[in-house]
Amino acid sequence: MDALRDEILFQLSNPVAFTIPVLGGVSVSASVVTTWILMAALMVLTLLLTRKLSVESPGKVQLGLETAVSFLNNFAEENIGEHWRSFAPYLGTVAIYIALSNMSGIFGLAPPTKDVNVTAALALMSAVLIYGAQFRFRGLWGGLKQFAEPLPLLLPINLMEVAIRPLALCMRLFGNILGAHLIMELVKFLIPVGFPVPFSLYFDLFDGIIQTIVFVFLTALFAGEGIRDEF
Amino acid sequence: MNIALFAAAIAVFTGIGAGIGIGLATGKASEAIARQPEAAGSIRSSLLLGCALAEGTAIFGFITALLIIFTK
Repeated sequence: MDALRDEILFQLSNPVAFTIPVLGGVSVSASVVTTWILMAALMVLTLLLTRKLSVESPGKVQLGLETAVSFLNNFAEENIGEHWRSFAPYLGTVAIYIALSNMSGIFGLAPPTKDVNVTAALALMSAVLIYGAQFRFRGLWGGLKQFAEPLPLLLPINLMEVAIRPLALCMRLFGNILGAHLIMELVKFLIPVGFPVPFSLYFDLFDGIIQTIVFVFLTALFAGEGIRDEF
Repeated sequence: MNIALFAAAIAVFTGIGAGIGIGLATGKASEAIARQPEAAGSIRSSLLLGCALAEGTAIFGFITALLIIFTK
């Protein structure tokens, strides 16, 4: 029972991978190292998949990429409205990163999104996007006035949402991935061979993709809510 | 026994609310899609939003339980 307890405690902590010996030691946590690995994988994939692009005779890979990009564009246009174009690349980038890091449990890595610092950074970026867009497209006065929409009575609730939205985004992703990762580690601890495969399919693949969709969808929805006038 | 463990167990009871909420929402969404299959896309996206918000309470309970256990 003690070994099980140690395992849980180890998974809950954010271990330090190594320390850079400058300025009195900058500690680099394991989630950052995993993120670097994912970045390298994404870079290689990008370089491999975008070779030999052509207008006249697109290959199968190019058709797949074009389908994915137009799916992303449609998604952004549906949820954000007329100013969707500048949001689509950011939403796609975040989606690829979150999806890959949620699924990295399959490859034996600890997902970076189980570290609350990573999800807090993602949620802060989303908050800056949501409220930055509101002021960018409505101007200073229009952006301030948007907090009193649809009724001036709702002003305090809208102001509270400035803090609640990023907190909820951060905690939702963190809690889901940490919970899934803990259950996976427990299953692997009890029966290491064969038995964890269906659990891994559900917790790593399905749950990871659902949480990615939820995070990106909520970000797009909130951003669209701030900048468009009619639905 | 440590009383904090009971507190953590009570915090995890938030899962009941999330379970009921998501179950109701999914049931109603299935009914709606059966009645109007052409509106499946928009029903699915509002179902996803509702599920994400309902699930948030369960996640907050889970995180509270973790905090109670490991920071006592």
